[in-house]
Amino acid sequence: MAKSSKSSKSSGDKFTRWLVIGMVALVVITGGGFSLLNQNNKNSEALIELNDFKVGAPIPASIDIINGSAIALNTGATKVIDIWVDPQCPACKVFEDANGGYIDNLIRTNKASVRFHILSFLGDESVRAANATFCAADEKHFLDFHKALYLVQSPVKNSGFWSNETLLDIGSAVGIKSKSFQDCVTKGSKLDLVKANYGSMEKFGIKGTPTVFINGKLWERKSSDFNLAEFSAAVEQG
Amino acid sequence: MKFFSANKLEIITFIVRIILGGVLLASGILKAKDPAESANAAAAYKILPTNIAHLFGYGLPWLEIAIAFLLILGISVRLAAFLGGFIMLVFVAAIASVWSRGILIDCGCFGGGGVIDPSKATEAYRSYFLAILRDLALALGGLYLYFFPHGILSFDKKSITNA
Repeated sequence: MAKSSKSSKSSGDKFTRWLVIGMVALVVITGGGFSLLNQNNKNSEALIELNDFKVGAPIPASIDIINGSAIALNTGATKVIDIWVDPQCPACKVFEDANGGYIDNLIRTNKASVRFHILSFLGDESVRAANATFCAADEKHFLDFHKALYLVQSPVKNSGFWSNETLLDIGSAVGIKSKSFQDCVTKGSKLDLVKANYGSMEKFGIKGTPTVFINGKLWERKSSDFNLAEFSAAVEQG
Repeated sequence: MKFFSANKLEIITFIVRIILGGVLLASGILKAKDPAESANAAAAYKILPTNIAHLFGYGLPWLEIAIAFLLILGISVRLAAFLGGFIMLVFVAAIASVWSRGILIDCGCFGGGGVIDPSKATEAYRSYFLAILRDLALALGGLYLYFFPHGILSFDKKSITNA
């Protein structure tokens, strides 16, 4: 850079240049490193908080092959709700945070049949989490596992957080400790169902998540925060 | 006459420094405020492997802020201009790559970012075009500073930077 300057000046230039490059590198490494560690800490803290998770009563789940191989809970009620979500979708977390407890209650008190369509278009970690979700449904703990997943969802997608180990930890926090669950998660035993759910999006006209149908009718929300008042009113109306 | 014209160049250099530095400072701060979003935005370009893209997304805001400080304060302007112009060219290449592969994203240039709805394709392509124009102009600013690094209100001594 300083080819044309005299040698004494040039060595001073070089020193300044490397000093500045060093400072810039220091700022980038410190700032970026702090951001990364901070995010990783938040993820681990969320996992630790799951220790206080209140596990609900086991609830059987079935696979509704005709309706996109969704996870069907409390089948046979007159009111049917279809919920399309991706485990990594941030808006789905907002929806779950706002309405998860209400939906849980609808199912447990026999007020509605709910079909959960677990999608996986946001990358590998969605596929892995979706697979584990189907495994949890087999263990009769879909609702708890689903809720716990969103409680710990990382804002950074496919960051490596939802490894099989983490998914097993989440499972054990909601009371799923069986060997069959372990095998199911680590072997990816439900990947065909994961694929079937993803593959049914087009057939049902799903363009994004979360998408909700109440008795087959698309819920057209007016608020952006998926608030409970609006959602429960829509469900009551049917 | 010579003195007068040199002075004008010094003022232009100062203005270009503030423009390039100001844009970098704004984009850096907006990204640094939400590191997770920045990491996601970098990964959405699908150029680097996901985990490396995340690291890039975490580090980039700080690189922008560091270069901005050098430019605005006038420290090692030549080097800062080189780095600033270079990352602008990297941005141009990245957006061109996304555009050519038909990927629809928000560039995340000033925070935000990520995949966008296919129904907004026209606006996305338009914003790619504008972002490329803007970044090319800023890269040209960097080029100018590389050759005329000495300006007013600068920490650099004339003998050091005007090599």
